[in-house]
Amino acid sequence: MKADGALVTLDRWGRAALPGTVLLLFVLLTLAPLRAPYLRDALPLLPALAVFQFSLATPERLPGPLLLAMGILLDLLLGGPGAPIGVSALGFVLIRASVVANRPYLVGVPFLFQWFGFCLLAGGFVILVWAFTAVWTWTAIDPVPAIVQYVVVVVLYPLLAPLLARVRARDPLNVPEPSRGTARPGETTP
Amino acid sequence: MAIRDDFEVVAGQVRAGIQRFALGLLVLAAFGAMLVGKADTVLVEHARVLALDLASPVLEAIARPVAVANRAIADLREFASLREENARLREENARLLAWQTAARRLENENEGLRGLANFREGPEASFITARIVGDSVSAYVRGALLNVGRKAGVAPGQAVVTGEGLAGRIAEVGENSARVLFVTDVNSRLPVLIERTRERAILAGDNSPQLRLTLLQSVAGVQRGDRIITSGHGGSFPVGIPVGEVVETSEGHVRVRPFADFSRLEFVRVVDYGVTGLVGAPAPPPPAPSAASGQRVKP
Repeated sequence: MKADGALVTLDRWGRAALPGTVLLLFVLLTLAPLRAPYLRDALPLLPALAVFQFSLATPERLPGPLLLAMGILLDLLLGGPGAPIGVSALGFVLIRASVVANRPYLVGVPFLFQWFGFCLLAGGFVILVWAFTAVWTWTAIDPVPAIVQYVVVVVLYPLLAPLLARVRARDPLNVPEPSRGTARPGETTP
Repeated sequence: MAIRDDFEVVAGQVRAGIQRFALGLLVLAAFGAMLVGKADTVLVEHARVLALDLASPVLEAIARPVAVANRAIADLREFASLREENARLREENARLLAWQTAARRLENENEGLRGLANFREGPEASFITARIVGDSVSAYVRGALLNVGRKAGVAPGQAVVTGEGLAGRIAEVGENSARVLFVTDVNSRLPVLIERTRERAILAGDNSPQLRLTLLQSVAGVQRGDRIITSGHGGSFPVGIPVGEVVETSEGHVRVRPFADFSRLEFVRVVDYGVTGLVGAPAPPPPAPSAASGQRVKP
């Protein structure tokens, strides 16, 4: 019985920590010296993909302050001299807020809709980072690499999203918001 | 009792307020981070170095599987062009052997002439070999992470070379890690010489695979195929490290292809030339990006 209790606790902790850990991994992976053409272009956008996908599935396990910290870490690791620190954090927070605000259109809908949603939000993210970097460093930054990055990550989304979406499986909390109910233990409906 | 209830009510209101303005607060915090980053570059520099030092053990751990994956990809690609590659290498070998003979003869001659003229060499350069454990290549920056840092004697401003030529310069240094800024980065400005004409110029990156040659006194003198070497102005780089060759000259625009192949870098050498302190001085062509030089002017 006690072992069961410990296992359950461990399981709960693992589940709670999983999205954050995967996001941290993706943030570190942006630095991996991968030589695969195209794939390496997409690496800097993979954290944004993880944020989108986990915000769909379990936004409560990806709290805003964590996203802020991860975004700042990403900017510190990836940014060149003079690049703005915190623009990725801003992007992450906005992605999460948009997903949470639009859950009815994104959760429990055909995959194509989710993909379309990701296209929109990732596009917004790329434009945000590009614009801020350009203004912050006051240089005309060639937008073509950013566009390539965007296209690659949009194409990659159908490959990665189902993997990340598995975090929802076997989770009783993961029923759509309205049907979850607000009753407390012992409370009865009149 | 009443006080406790009151307290709980107020606490609940505060909690609700925070939740309602959570997004606004987070956005404000992100902007705050950006402003702090803009205002206090030294703090950001420290934070970057700390982040690099924390991340580099993880990157070292994943470097091996990544290298295996890279090798597999390279194998697949090279397998397709094995025959042509072989023929090309044989041809190149023959040409290089001829050059080797010429170089030996010139080296002897040079040594003799230097002896006659009582020529004094610059400081002796030493090398630190490093593995690339991370790329900081995105749409906005061209660089890499090395697994050597201050402990190994790496300092900001030092040149980073490959077998083929110059790769870049050290921008930030942690205890056991360092960040290279490639010559192709938009922040890179490098004082160079055109080898044939001995004309000075500045080689600037713009995040594209090719470099831009600027501040030429006469663009007309440059031809396609001219080799570009470091000029040693600014003091931190040895003279004569090959950087690239001119591939395009059209109405004032001179494009240079770097010799270093950034897509397959695995090991590089950091050149310790012993005089990096000079870079912070107000030299006519500012050779270092602002963040790197800002760190170096400290006494």
